[in-house]
Amino acid sequence: MHRSKTLFLLLSIMTLLVGGVFAQDDGLKLTGWPYEVDVVTENLGRFTDQSGHDAVFLPFPSNEYHDKMVASFVAGTEFDVAYVRDSYLAEWASAGWILPITGLPGADELLADLPAGIIEQMSYDGEVYGLPYYSGVQTMAYNAAHLEAADVDAPPETWDDMLEQAQMIKDAGVVEYPILMQLRSGENYLLREWETLTASRGGKLFDDDFNPLFHLEGSAAWQALDWLTEGLDAGLIDPASLTDDDGTLLMAAGTTSFMTTTDYTLKAMNDPEQSNAAGSIKNALIPGTDEVRSGTWGYVRLYAITNNAEDKDAAWQLVQFLGGKDATGVYYVPKRWALEFGLGFSPAPLYEDEEVRNSISGWIDPDLLSEQSEYAISRPYRFVPFFSDWEIGSWGPLQAAILGDADKGEVLNELAEEWNELKEDWGY
Amino acid sequence: MLAILFSAPAVLIIAATILAPFCIAVFLSLHNWNLKRPGRERFIGLENYIDWITDSDFWEPLRTTFTFAILAVVLIVLLSLLISLLLNEKFPGRGVLRALLLVPWAIPSVVNALLWKWLLNPQYGLVNAVFFELGIITEYQNVLGSMPSVMIWLVIAYSWIHIPLATLLLLSGLQTIPGDIYESAIVDGANIWGRFRYITLPLLRPMLSIVIIFEMIFALKVFDIIFVLTAGGPADATNVLGWQIYTETFRKLDFGAGSSIAMLLGAITLALAILFYAVLDKGTER
Amino acid sequence: MKARARIRLIVIYLGAAIVLAGTVGPFLWLVSSSFQYERQLLNRPPQWLPNPIVLDSYREIFEGAVLGEASGVPYQSRIFLRSFANSFFVAGSVAGIAVLVGAYAAYPLARLTFRGRSVLLFGILASRLIPALSLAIPIVLVAKRIGMSDKIVTLVFINLSFILPYVIWLLQSYFKTIPIELEDAGRIDGCSRLQVVHKIILPLSLPGLTSAGILAFLLTWGEFLFALLLSETPASYTSTVVVSLFATDVDVSFVSIITAGVVSVIPPIGFALIFQRFIISGLLSGSLKG
Repeated sequence: MHRSKTLFLLLSIMTLLVGGVFAQDDGLKLTGWPYEVDVVTENLGRFTDQSGHDAVFLPFPSNEYHDKMVASFVAGTEFDVAYVRDSYLAEWASAGWILPITGLPGADELLADLPAGIIEQMSYDGEVYGLPYYSGVQTMAYNAAHLEAADVDAPPETWDDMLEQAQMIKDAGVVEYPILMQLRSGENYLLREWETLTASRGGKLFDDDFNPLFHLEGSAAWQALDWLTEGLDAGLIDPASLTDDDGTLLMAAGTTSFMTTTDYTLKAMNDPEQSNAAGSIKNALIPGTDEVRSGTWGYVRLYAITNNAEDKDAAWQLVQFLGGKDATGVYYVPKRWALEFGLGFSPAPLYEDEEVRNSISGWIDPDLLSEQSEYAISRPYRFVPFFSDWEIGSWGPLQAAILGDADKGEVLNELAEEWNELKEDWGY
Repeated sequence: MLAILFSAPAVLIIAATILAPFCIAVFLSLHNWNLKRPGRERFIGLENYIDWITDSDFWEPLRTTFTFAILAVVLIVLLSLLISLLLNEKFPGRGVLRALLLVPWAIPSVVNALLWKWLLNPQYGLVNAVFFELGIITEYQNVLGSMPSVMIWLVIAYSWIHIPLATLLLLSGLQTIPGDIYESAIVDGANIWGRFRYITLPLLRPMLSIVIIFEMIFALKVFDIIFVLTAGGPADATNVLGWQIYTETFRKLDFGAGSSIAMLLGAITLALAILFYAVLDKGTER
Repeated sequence: MKARARIRLIVIYLGAAIVLAGTVGPFLWLVSSSFQYERQLLNRPPQWLPNPIVLDSYREIFEGAVLGEASGVPYQSRIFLRSFANSFFVAGSVAGIAVLVGAYAAYPLARLTFRGRSVLLFGILASRLIPALSLAIPIVLVAKRIGMSDKIVTLVFINLSFILPYVIWLLQSYFKTIPIELEDAGRIDGCSRLQVVHKIILPLSLPGLTSAGILAFLLTWGEFLFALLLSETPASYTSTVVVSLFATDVDVSFVSIITAGVVSVIPPIGFALIFQRFIISGLLSGSLKG
C-alpha cells in the first residue's frame, strides 16, 4: 500500500533531522534571568580580559528561574555563580545551595560601601551571601493626567486622601476603578502589598524577634486590611486586584490611576512604545497616615556563589567583578546597569555620580525616589527559612478576609498561630 | 512469547525513563524530606499520607479538582464529538479546517497563557469587548474575581486548548465506521438521530472511552492554566491538587509532602481509569 | 435531492464557521497583535486590526536567525528560529519512534489473550498518572547522575515515555475495530502473526497511526517543563524555552512573545497538514468487500 510507505518514509526523514550540536566549555558558568543577555556577555568578556578566567552566561526564563535552579541544585549541576532574588535567599541558603561571602578576601571593603538595609537583605543567619546586582524600593506611581481631569492638585499624602481622590476621579468619569492593589496569590503580590500598606501606617507584620504583630487588635496590619475592604466595597479599588498579575500594564493602558510598584516599572509605563499613558505616569511617596509620612521596603537582586562551584576563588572574583569593582578599582558593572539601563544601585559612591543621576531622571524623579528609600523598613522576618511556608498558606485566608468572606480577627489569629507553630518547629 | 516480544521496546523505553524517578518519588513520599533542612531527612512510613488524608488541605483541593475535571471533561467530550461529526462529513475545505482545528493545541503554553490573560482582562480584555459590543453586558466584568465565573472561564480556557486532541482522536475513530452501514440504514429509513444513536455511538464507543479516560487523566492533573490565570485564588476557590503539589514541592521544598500528595492523586486517577474502562469498554471486545 | 444536498452543505458550512470562529478566532487576535505596537494591545476598545502594520518583531526574528550577532537584534530573537532545529529533531523523532514502537506494543493488547494483559495495559497508563511536576526533579537528578542531562537525546526519551502510553492505548483501541475475520483469513492463507501485523493491521490502521503521530508531534513540540529542566546551555533549548525567555524580570516584550508564538504554530500545523491526508475513511469497507 503506497500510502503507508510514504508515511513511514516521511517519519524516518523526521527522525533523521539532526538537532543542534554544541560544545562544552570549561569556564565559569553564570546563571540568571535573560535581561540584556548581550550586555551581560560583554561584561563577562571584560572579566575574562582582566582575570584570565573564561566565563559564560546561561540565561533561563525569568518566571521559571526559581524552579529551574532548584532542580539544578538538587541534581548538582555545575553552575558557579547565580543571580538570586532576595525572596529566595533564606531558602537557598538554608538548603546549602549558595555560599556565604563573609570573610572572603576583599569582602569587607566592598560591604563597607553598601547601606545597612541592603546588606541585611542579602543576609541569612548572620552571614552575607552575595553582592547586589540591582536594588531599589517600592514606590507609588500615579497618572497625573487622571488627577488633573478630576481637579486634584497633588498626589495623596495619606491613604484616606487616596480613597477621596479616587472617588473624585471615579465621579468625574475618568476611570472606573482608580486604584489597583496587587493582592494576587504569589510571592510577588499579596504579602508585599500588605507590607507596604502596613509599613506606611508605621507598623510591621512581625517584630525583630519574629513574633507576629499583625493579629493584634488595631495593629497597622489590621487597619491595612480594613482599608482594602473599604476600598473594594466602595468600588474604588479594582476588583481585578485579586487576580491581576501585571498592574504595570493597567497603568500603561491608562485605566488605573494609582498603584504601588517597583521603581523600575515606571520606565515601561513612560515608554511611548509600550504605554498609552506615557508621559503622564509620575512617582510620589507612598501615602501614610496623619502621623506617619510614608513607608516602604526595599528589594535586592544579588550574585551568589553556588555550592557546586568547582573553583570557588574564581567564582568569588566573578561576583566581585559583577557586584562590586573591576580590576581597575571602579564599580564598572553596577554603574553600567544604572547608567545605560536605569537599574537601581546600592554602592554609596554611585549616589554622588552626576552621570547616573541625570540618566534616570527621564522617567522617574530621583530626589523623590531617594527620599522614598529613607522610609524603607527592614524585614528580618523574611530571612528565616520558614517564611515562604507560612506565606503560601496565608494567601487564601487573607484574600477571604479582604473580600469579607471570612472574619478578619479569626483569620489573623489563625495565621499568627500557624507562624508560631512553624517558628517553634524550626527552633527560632 | 509474542506479546512480550512485541511490547518489549515500548515497555523498556517507558521503564528506563520512568522507573527510577518513580521509585525516587515513592521513596521521598515515605520520608520527612524538606530540602531546607538538610541532614534531618528520616523515614516516617505512611505518616505523610496520613497527614494529608486527615487534612482539609487535601480534601478541599480534591473537591475543587473534581469540580474542574467533571466540567472540563463533559465540555470537551461533547464539543469534540460534535466537531468530529462535522469534520467527518465530506465537503470542500475539510482538510484545511481539520488542520486549523489543531491551532489552539499548537500554540506554545507560554503564549497560550498570555492569550487568555489578554482575553479575560477586565480592562482591555477582548472577551469583555466582544460581549460589550454585542450588548450582552453593559459594563466590563472581572470574570476571574469570583466564583462561579472564575471556574467557568478556567474550564473554557482549558477546554479550548484540549478540544483539538479529543477531536483528532474521535475523528480517527469515526473513520473506522464503514460508510455502507449508513447507506443501508438510510434505506431502512433511519433519520439522523437514529443513525447517530444506533450506529455511530456504539461503533465509536471504544475511541470515545479512550478519549474520556485520557481527558479525565489530563484534567485531574490540571496545573498550567491555574498557575497562569488565578494562582489558586481568589481565596483558594481554584486551588486544585496540581497547584498544591507544585507549592509543596517547588515553593516549600517539602519533597516528602509533595510526593505523597502526588501519589494520592495518582492512585485516585488510576482507580477512576480502571472504573471508567470497566464501565465504558464493556461489550466492545469482539 | 439537489435541494437537500444544498441544505446539507449550508448546515455544514454554518457549523464549520462557528467551529472556525471558536478555535481560530483567538489565534487571529494573536496574529493581529503581532503586527502592532505594544501599547496598542492595551487599547479599549481593542485594536482589532493592525494600524499601522508593524513588522519589527518578525524582522528581528528572521534577521536575527540569518545574521546572528551582526544583526544587532536582542539575544532572544536571534536564537529563536535556530532553536527550531532542536524542536524538530525531538518532535520528529518522538513521533516516528512512538508510532513504530507503539504499534507493536498495542497489537498484542488488542488481539491476544494472555495473562497479565490488563496489568500491562494499566501498568503502561499508570506511568502517566503521577503529575509530571513531582517526577520532574527525580528525572533531572537521574539524568544528571548517568551523564544524560543537557542532551537532546534525553528529551526524546523523556517525551517518548510520556507519549507512548497514550499512543499504545489509542492504537490498541483502533486495532480492535479491525474485523477479526480479516486476520483469520490472513492466517488461513499462511501468514505468520508478524506478517498479519505488517500486511493487514498496519495498512488498515493508517488513520489511527497518523492520528497517533500527529498527537505525538504536537505534544512534544509544545513540551516545556522538561525542555527547560534538562537543558543547561542555550544550545539545547527547544523553541518553547526560547519563547519564555522574552520575559526578563525587568521587562516583558509582549509583541515578541506573541510573534514567536504565531511562528511556533507553523511547523506543527504544517506537519498535521502533510500527514492528515492519511486520516481517510473507507479503508475498512474496501477490504471487507475485497
